[in-house]
Amino acid sequence: MKLEGKAKLLRIHFGEDDKWQGKPLYEAIVIKCRELDIAGASVFRGIEGYGASSRIRKAHLLRSSDRPIMVSVIDTEQNISKLLPALDEMVDEGLIAMSEVEVIRYVHQEGVRSPAS
Amino acid sequence: MLTPGPGKKVGIYVAEDQQYHGSAAYAAVLDFLFFRGVSGATVTRGIAGFGGDHKMQTTSLVDLAVHLPVKIEFIETAQKVEELLPKLQAMVGTGLIEMHDTTIVKPAEKTQKKTEAERPALKWESKAKMMRIYIGENDKWNGKPLYEAIINGLRSNDIAGVTVYRGILGYGANRRIHKDAALSLSHDRPILLSVVDTEDKLKAFMPVLDQMVQQGVVVLSDVDIIKYAHNYEKAERRQEERI
Repeated sequence: MKLEGKAKLLRIHFGEDDKWQGKPLYEAIVIKCRELDIAGASVFRGIEGYGASSRIRKAHLLRSSDRPIMVSVIDTEQNISKLLPALDEMVDEGLIAMSEVEVIRYVHQEGVRSPAS
Repeated sequence: MLTPGPGKKVGIYVAEDQQYHGSAAYAAVLDFLFFRGVSGATVTRGIAGFGGDHKMQTTSLVDLAVHLPVKIEFIETAQKVEELLPKLQAMVGTGLIEMHDTTIVKPAEKTQKKTEAERPALKWESKAKMMRIYIGENDKWNGKPLYEAIINGLRSNDIAGVTVYRGILGYGANRRIHKDAALSLSHDRPILLSVVDTEDKLKAFMPVLDQMVQQGVVVLSDVDIIKYAHNYEKAERRQEERI
């Protein structure tokens, strides 16, 4: 896979407790990205935040935590547009933002492909 | 800043355990007043009282006193109070808001800082570049974690700033899922370094980065800088202490 020059960066923001078909939504999105052969996806967990419902989300000691999650995906505009309809269906409450980026470097070593996954 | 003359004094009564959007109502009101530029506010906690539902609330050791009254008081100009009231009414829920005319005899003043005239904050052109570097947590460079090596490299190149984020799940060029598994010994989680500086400075660092990143993605995008302030004196003092 090759990725160079102009590309799109997609950021999807939602809560850690959000689910898709019983699975954490962030896991479901990463699996979907892989299915669609998207170049890469990373999930980040925030420590505090608020969103559409303007309810502060943060970690609680006793209650289950609903911290903010951000999934960041980089690929060509063409590939990203394949992902968007799926995201529309999966993300009920959250925010999806797209911005333009320029890929400076996209490398991987041959032979480190894990047979397990 | 208030001036001597007529003003309004507003008192807001809520219960100590009352909630607004997941945090204490009195704290939310206080935050709201603070961020809307009110010149001062005081929160006092009652030791006993009763309110709308006519139940006596006291500090008794027998039952947990969580319904105690809390009063938030602030003084502002009539105009400012008008502007704040609609939102305050939404925030206090079942609580009470009262207001009366007052006269400001002497407004509160800012504490005089001892430091001499502050240096102007470092001014920046508003356009800059953001560089994001996606690597793995286990990536190494000369025996130490790659993200640490990159930070050191950026610092020695006088790049304005960098933040390292650790992801919880992800996959990259090699199609292998990086996951934070509780039982697995190897934590190869995704790492994101976010760097902001001028295009020239980032471009100058690129050859070094090329050598260091054996596996990963580096992307560049345009950003607008809203504010960037730096107090050199403080930083220098900290440096000296460290030495």
